[in-house]
Amino acid sequence: MSRLDGGLIDRSRTLSFTFDGRRYVGHPGDTLASALLANGVRLMGRSFKYHRPRGVLTAGSEEPSALVELRSGARREPNTKATVTELYDGLDAMSQNRWPSLKFDALGVNDFVSPLFAAGFYYKTFMWPKAFWEKLYEPAIRRAAGLGRLSMEPDPDSYDKGFLHCDLLVIGAGAAGLVAALTAARTGKRVILADEDFRLGGRLLSESHTLGDAPATDWLAGREAELSSLPNLRIMRRTTVFGAYDHGIYGAVERVGDHAPDASNGVRQTLWRITARRTIMATGATERHIPFANNDRPGIMLAGALRAYANRWAACPAGRVAIFTNNDDGHRTASDLAAKGVEIAGVIDTRADAQPLGDYPVFPGAVVTGSKGRLGLNSVEITQEGRTQTLTCGALGVSGGWNPNLQLASHHRGRPVWSEEKLAFLPGEGGPRGLVPAGAANGEGSTGGALSSGARAAQAVLADLGVDAAMPELPEAEDTPIKQSAFWYVPGTARAWVDFQNDVTVKDIALAHQENMRPVEHLKRWTTLGMATDQGKTSNVTALAIMAELTGRSIPETGTTIFRPPYTPVSLGVLGGGDTGAEFRPLRLTPTHEWAKARGAPFTEVGPWMRAQYFPRPGETHWRDSVDREVLATRAGVGICDVTTLGKVDVQGADALEFVNRLYCNGFKTLKVGMVRYGLMLREDGIAMDDGTCARLAEDHLVVTTTTSQAGPVYRHMEFARQCLWPDLDVQLISTTDAWAQLSVAGPHARRLLERVVDGVDISNDACPFMSCRELTVCGGLRARLFRISFSGELAYELAVPARYGGALMDRLVTLGEDLGATPYGTEALSVLRIEKGHAAGNELNGQTTAQMLGMGRMVSNKKDSIGAVLSRREGLCADRRTLVGLQAMDAGAKVTAGAHLLSDGAEERTEMDEGWISSACHSPHLGVGIGLGFLEDGARRMGEVITAANPLEGQSTRLRVVSPHFIDPDGGRVRD
Amino acid sequence: MTDLIPSLALGGDAPRAFDAGAIHLAENPGFGIASVALRRNCPPPTPFGVPLPGTAEFTEAEHGLALWTAQNQWMLLAPGRAEEDFAGAVKVEAPGTSVTEQTDAWAVIEIRSSDGEGPITALLEKLVDLDPATLGPGRVVRTGLAHQSVYVLRRNAAELTVLGMRSAGASLWNALETAAAQLAAVRYS
Amino acid sequence: MLIPHPLLGPRDAQEFTYLGDAKLLDRPDGMAPGAAEAFFEYLYLRDNRAGVHEELWFHEQGDRAILLVTRDTTTHEILGAVLARDAVLSRTGDGT
Repeated sequence: MSRLDGGLIDRSRTLSFTFDGRRYVGHPGDTLASALLANGVRLMGRSFKYHRPRGVLTAGSEEPSALVELRSGARREPNTKATVTELYDGLDAMSQNRWPSLKFDALGVNDFVSPLFAAGFYYKTFMWPKAFWEKLYEPAIRRAAGLGRLSMEPDPDSYDKGFLHCDLLVIGAGAAGLVAALTAARTGKRVILADEDFRLGGRLLSESHTLGDAPATDWLAGREAELSSLPNLRIMRRTTVFGAYDHGIYGAVERVGDHAPDASNGVRQTLWRITARRTIMATGATERHIPFANNDRPGIMLAGALRAYANRWAACPAGRVAIFTNNDDGHRTASDLAAKGVEIAGVIDTRADAQPLGDYPVFPGAVVTGSKGRLGLNSVEITQEGRTQTLTCGALGVSGGWNPNLQLASHHRGRPVWSEEKLAFLPGEGGPRGLVPAGAANGEGSTGGALSSGARAAQAVLADLGVDAAMPELPEAEDTPIKQSAFWYVPGTARAWVDFQNDVTVKDIALAHQENMRPVEHLKRWTTLGMATDQGKTSNVTALAIMAELTGRSIPETGTTIFRPPYTPVSLGVLGGGDTGAEFRPLRLTPTHEWAKARGAPFTEVGPWMRAQYFPRPGETHWRDSVDREVLATRAGVGICDVTTLGKVDVQGADALEFVNRLYCNGFKTLKVGMVRYGLMLREDGIAMDDGTCARLAEDHLVVTTTTSQAGPVYRHMEFARQCLWPDLDVQLISTTDAWAQLSVAGPHARRLLERVVDGVDISNDACPFMSCRELTVCGGLRARLFRISFSGELAYELAVPARYGGALMDRLVTLGEDLGATPYGTEALSVLRIEKGHAAGNELNGQTTAQMLGMGRMVSNKKDSIGAVLSRREGLCADRRTLVGLQAMDAGAKVTAGAHLLSDGAEERTEMDEGWISSACHSPHLGVGIGLGFLEDGARRMGEVITAANPLEGQSTRLRVVSPHFIDPDGGRVRD
Repeated sequence: MTDLIPSLALGGDAPRAFDAGAIHLAENPGFGIASVALRRNCPPPTPFGVPLPGTAEFTEAEHGLALWTAQNQWMLLAPGRAEEDFAGAVKVEAPGTSVTEQTDAWAVIEIRSSDGEGPITALLEKLVDLDPATLGPGRVVRTGLAHQSVYVLRRNAAELTVLGMRSAGASLWNALETAAAQLAAVRYS
Repeated sequence: MLIPHPLLGPRDAQEFTYLGDAKLLDRPDGMAPGAAEAFFEYLYLRDNRAGVHEELWFHEQGDRAILLVTRDTTTHEILGAVLARDAVLSRTGDGT
């Protein structure tokens, strides 16, 4: 109930903090939990289901009960463990899960109707009447559920990430870990030592043992000094290694700024990816408790935690305490607290042959059978040889034995193994390769044992790496074996808690057993034991032991669940590694981006690219104003569009042409130098993959284009073909998408405009016919490539120049072409133009269509072996009679919707009547009506027919006429002009 | 020569520069760049008189840098030759190989530490998942950095050069700036 | 996961794109009789073994090499990796 002497706190400085609106004082070195205990505060929260008053149970990250809301405003964080929250000046915390206050919680009524909330209740309740679920039960449960509250505001903190590589990762800086790190670092190997605590030392900080006749802190200070001096050793405090992944890769979170009032340099937490050649898991052990009737009152905690608060934090929740234990370790708490002047009401030891460690009352062969003090422990009832008595005390330390923290060792399925000798699970075989347990995590928890274990583990892993490490000098340390008994819980009729956070009792486990939920995985999920944020660290093994007893089997026979990352909860913010906001992923900008931005163009995301949608002119108020204008202007004069984003692959080598001939389904053997050909690539299963053009710039030099979104996959496909299918071909590939700015110049005045930029080269129709290409220079000597190809159906070219000149070239063309009506156009007009022309694009090549459906069935050559040709001819694909058609709205105002499904006129709107779908749609300014492209059963033979486009999701239905997909210039005269 | 005015990869009016503590970033738009790939039965050339580097290495000579990029494939960077047909010049230096212009495929960012190796190591730790031992002076690696694919060259203990694809140059610059600024604000004892 | 690139040493799997079963290397002859059946098997039939498995990885964020990797699918242990190109050439001769 106040501060004791000693402790690792800095009494020269005072920190002020608030809890539930009341101000308190603590010291640097305190946690929120230790400072509250030192201020006489035992009541810290309300339990999840029953809203029972709760205090702190532990002194570490295994804490299930003392969960608070830390900070306020946008940085408010729920479910923060008071036991690992470093105290800082101005810390502001609130208790959770209670209304209106911690002392008077209205939902405490749940406790009194608790039989309704037994394990599995939600599988049996809230079912009747059915209608009540949505309106009443679910909203009510939602309001009552959960523990803390989110701020609901965007996270203002920034996060970071980093990558570390080392020879040895030591997880845990207690006795074993420190010695292991020292042993290894002295060899010069690269070592990382990580500990979740803000101080190194682990349990050494909480025990009163001496090391070599001096306090443990002296020895620690010496070791820390040496460790800090080694340049090849990186010490990471406040860093939790939360997961063991493949091949020695570990995930860790470093709490950089959580302990500071304002996050230092803005970074709150850092996500570290550590690749280690070897790892030592020196993660220590966690104490287990012994369930008894009403064992969850504020003031009842683990004996080791009571001892830690006294030794490390000079805090004790009461002036008079009792201990309940089934092993020798519980007596240490009595001895240490007595040494600090705390009155020991007695040690209740389940073993008849219990031996005290000092001059305090002992009750051998006794158990605790009850407690009193709803808002704070007042007394416990003990039963010895059938007789009961009451012991007055304000705190009870419970010791049921220690469980190695072996979670990381089972992240790769390695099942822990039960040791009857140690009455604990130990790391088993099949753990992550290269990971070796040491110290208490390996069942070697005595101080002397841990020190020696750490050194030996380091020597073993270093020997594995071919290094001879010297055994360090180890101080004299206690090494007494702890005698313990397999006493798991006190039977009785009143509720006895096993999992404090999810409010699971011994009765619930018995109920699960009764309902035949006996395998460990069923027990867990039926009762929710072990499923809270503490992941059952203080309850799993006890629950298993209870289930084993109920089923009459041994613990190994009952089994255990395996653990998955994260070891302790990790915030989503840090998993993002700092990539948030507009820059959360890379953006790709086209060469004309700045130019377009200056002209007020809005941009659309096309994968990672930002592309200009249209170029609004003063007076235009709706996007259709701009887009319609751009489309009309292009077909009437000349339009210019940045098409840089389409993939470009440079293909060279003696066998370049043969190579592309095997990739495209249509023939390329006859492609002459200086010519371009349209190419369709199929997937090996016969489905259309991508289309584009292939230009033959020289005998052994081709440029293959792809659609924007398929640039990556097609390049990958080409490399696969080159390296794996035909490695004997002499062909080399380089992606050149970024290197060249590419502008489409389209419209009846396209040639006239280009003549104004091309340097002294004849680009007349004869010299530069449709589907030709050549290298030349523009604008006074700039190297360029001209391709006469058309996506729009107009007389068109694509002009490529080095990307740094793309913006300037666009500007030049628009300026020089003013009298020709030169109009920049964006993705919207680009789309309208190609739909009007009937050109397939990404929507038509969606991975579900074949060459046959696209109307290109005859393009698939049967005179050569090309990717996909064979399977494109299989019955199943050929049986699909849907083919590409044009669709035109019957009414001027009607909207044609891409995605709508096509049905015969008058057919019922059911899936069975589905005859196709609309793949692309737009308003055609030339036709003055909505149009689309789509796939329709037997489309070629239904020209002129009126069908229905159904859009049941939005409750729409439109009548459309089936027409040729070539709305504009169906004979193709313009492109050849 | 053309009267068109070129733009900078990072979108500014002048090459971008940024200083944060000991780290200095600078955009370098002046390199002429071309890739060279061997064809079948083609012996490795010695463009500009210098043999091409071995796996994961780069050479630096009077004419510029040569980077190993893949088996039988390299990339040449010549300072100050961005406005020329550098690929054409390389074709002459490396006959019988496949040469591809790459000058405007890349944004080139040079990173210098004015405090020795430490800041460079710290920067690499934040940005790339690579064992620093594999990135000593003279080594080049292509890897992921801020979710994009980049080349990282260790020019010497205190200098790195990063090549990222030109179109994503601004995002790369932003990632490097942020990392450098965060480092400058932190002190590692 | 770390993939032991034969030229570059161990590199993180994030630099790679998984392409599929190494069976993809055995592409049938599209002009030979029975090609349809052969391609069906090539594309769709897989042993799907729990244990040692051969597969292809594309070093997309690296040197763009395709690696033939031998990996145990139950433990993720990688037993070896070679350049796919070399593996194919050594099966069929040097391809000249």
